[in-house]
Amino acid sequence: MGSRAFMVLLSHRGAYINPSANAAQLFLTFGQSPFSPVKKKCLVERRNHRTSHNFSTAANSSLEPPNLPRLAETARISLTPDEVEEFAPKMKQVVDWFGQLQAIDLESIEPAMRADTEDDNSRDDLPQIFENREAIIKAMPSYEEPYIKVPKVLNKE
Amino acid sequence: MLSSIQSPRLLRLSTLHQIPLRCLQTSTTPVPTPSSPQPTSQILKIRKSLLSRETTAVEIAKTFLSRLRRTEPQLKSFLYVSPEDAVLKQAEEIDRKIRNNEELGPLAGVLAGVKDNICTSDMPSTAGSKILENYTPPYDATAVKKLRENGAIIVGKTNLDEFGMGSTTEASGYQVTANPWDLSRVPGGSSGGSAAAVSAQQCAVSLGTDTGGSVRQPASFCGVVGLKPTYGRVSRYGLVAYASSLDVIGCLGSSVADTGIVLQAVSGHDKFDATSSKQGIPNFASQFIPKDYLDSKPLKGLRVGVIRETLADGVDPDVISSLQHSVSHLEDLGCTISEVSFPSFSLGLPAYYILASSESSSNLARYDGVRFGNQVFADELSSLYGDSRAEGFGSEVKLRILMGTYALSAGYYDAYYKRAQQVRTLVQKSFRAALEENDVLISPAAPSVAYKIGEKKNDPLAMYAGDIMTVNVNLAGLPALVLPCGFVEEGSSVLPVGLQMIGAAFDEESLLKIGHIFEQTLQGYSFVPPLVGDDF
Repeated sequence: MGSRAFMVLLSHRGAYINPSANAAQLFLTFGQSPFSPVKKKCLVERRNHRTSHNFSTAANSSLEPPNLPRLAETARISLTPDEVEEFAPKMKQVVDWFGQLQAIDLESIEPAMRADTEDDNSRDDLPQIFENREAIIKAMPSYEEPYIKVPKVLNKE
Repeated sequence: MLSSIQSPRLLRLSTLHQIPLRCLQTSTTPVPTPSSPQPTSQILKIRKSLLSRETTAVEIAKTFLSRLRRTEPQLKSFLYVSPEDAVLKQAEEIDRKIRNNEELGPLAGVLAGVKDNICTSDMPSTAGSKILENYTPPYDATAVKKLRENGAIIVGKTNLDEFGMGSTTEASGYQVTANPWDLSRVPGGSSGGSAAAVSAQQCAVSLGTDTGGSVRQPASFCGVVGLKPTYGRVSRYGLVAYASSLDVIGCLGSSVADTGIVLQAVSGHDKFDATSSKQGIPNFASQFIPKDYLDSKPLKGLRVGVIRETLADGVDPDVISSLQHSVSHLEDLGCTISEVSFPSFSLGLPAYYILASSESSSNLARYDGVRFGNQVFADELSSLYGDSRAEGFGSEVKLRILMGTYALSAGYYDAYYKRAQQVRTLVQKSFRAALEENDVLISPAAPSVAYKIGEKKNDPLAMYAGDIMTVNVNLAGLPALVLPCGFVEEGSSVLPVGLQMIGAAFDEESLLKIGHIFEQTLQGYSFVPPLVGDDF
């Protein structure tokens, strides 16, 4: 449904279009961004109806800016207040820059996980003894045979 | 009319088939150095002199080690240098084999540097990070194992931006490497140490890694050859993961032939890397026809596509000029030149940074101070994690982990990561279409020559912008070769420019053949930095 709506918008603007062209072919044919503010608004409205994610329902569809202390906790990195102050504007700058991907219609484009590789390259799931166990143990900061020693886990709320 | 370059727009090669390219050459072209011999394969030179008994492996090793010692205080390419007696012992073993007429591996006696994010069981492997200070892995990476099996001597571990995150080595947890062409400038990154070491001939060849351009851009900045293989060509087992869908191990050398021979040695399917390919390995080394045997138009019929978007605003006019010289040279060799357009080209950069940060936030979760690496004392587990990581990671790494964490958070995945993957599909399709009409695509390797140390340090977007030429190739998983094609004068320095050639998946063979012929027929340039000079 999305791609048909996209096609209708383009022909309304007077652009020549092959009705069966997909978005990728459009990229190669036109050599220019086929996106206009009119289309952006329509796409945004469609998206808000469709998904149940916590996007803002405002017409400009802005995502909440990064909450640095919360992200640092999720990533398990203890940031100092100086670091929070230093990183926040840089993060905002980069995240705003990421935002240019929001403006594009990527309807009907399959996400690619990586470059094409062959299927089924897994080896048999058979356990093998690793020869150099001593080196693994030697690398551990706190080891008391046979335990890796860590401090207590505090249960947060 | 075209006697000076004011605006890169004037140089749009939009009607290439009509305008003879020679007309686009300008007076800003740097004067080439007097005619000097073409780069020769260090590997073949070493092999020949060993087999002819002209010299010994020990003498060769001593020569490289002495040059390394002399230049290292200024360059700082290495985080770890193998003790001299260990290196000479391996060299003696090769000499013993020669005396007994035993078979020698193709890399026998060749001193190689290995980027410090590739595991070596007998040397520390820090990935350029304090969190892995003094960490010695319990195994060799497959690529390292293969180098050794082929007779190479690993001389040390080269400097890099921490975990591969950076384009200058300024983000290394330990030191900044200098560019052998101008010590006040960066060698590029993240494989800056590997590129500088080969440029200054501290070692004959080196291994680097390329996630978004990290072999190709430093090769360009340092005037050496850098080869990024197809994703899956070389096993990633033992490579410290940064972005698993993008990382590859690549080769650096002072000639195209050397990178091809090293690629031959390290390629191949590995059961320990599920993304490594079972594609057969052609004999890459058989591409290197000596110059005297080449036809007058050795590349006749080859279709070369120049990527239009890589010659636009934001690219240094002198770099564009070098590219145009290269295009002329390719035409002289018989190529048919045309222009290709990648409208989604500029989207590749934010898509790359979303994917790389996201994947790195997951890959770097393992550095928790518990099973390996530096641990900061804490009386509670999450503080142990938080403080060990806070102290062990540098700012750029923290920033990227946080960005990745954000992009992957619940509610944001669709907006960022998924959309970036969709852009990846578009990039793959664009390349596939372009490579049906062309045998190889070309562009500059970077929009400029090497920056001054400190120039881009506090501006992440300015730093990221420098990767525009290289990231799309990683998104598509294609192979690419960068080789030096010219120089730019900046003040009193002469700085190399690299030409990037992009090929179809698993077609490193064509890239090496074309690159070798280009290199061997390019007149009037010497890509040996003054620092090394007559010594080499």
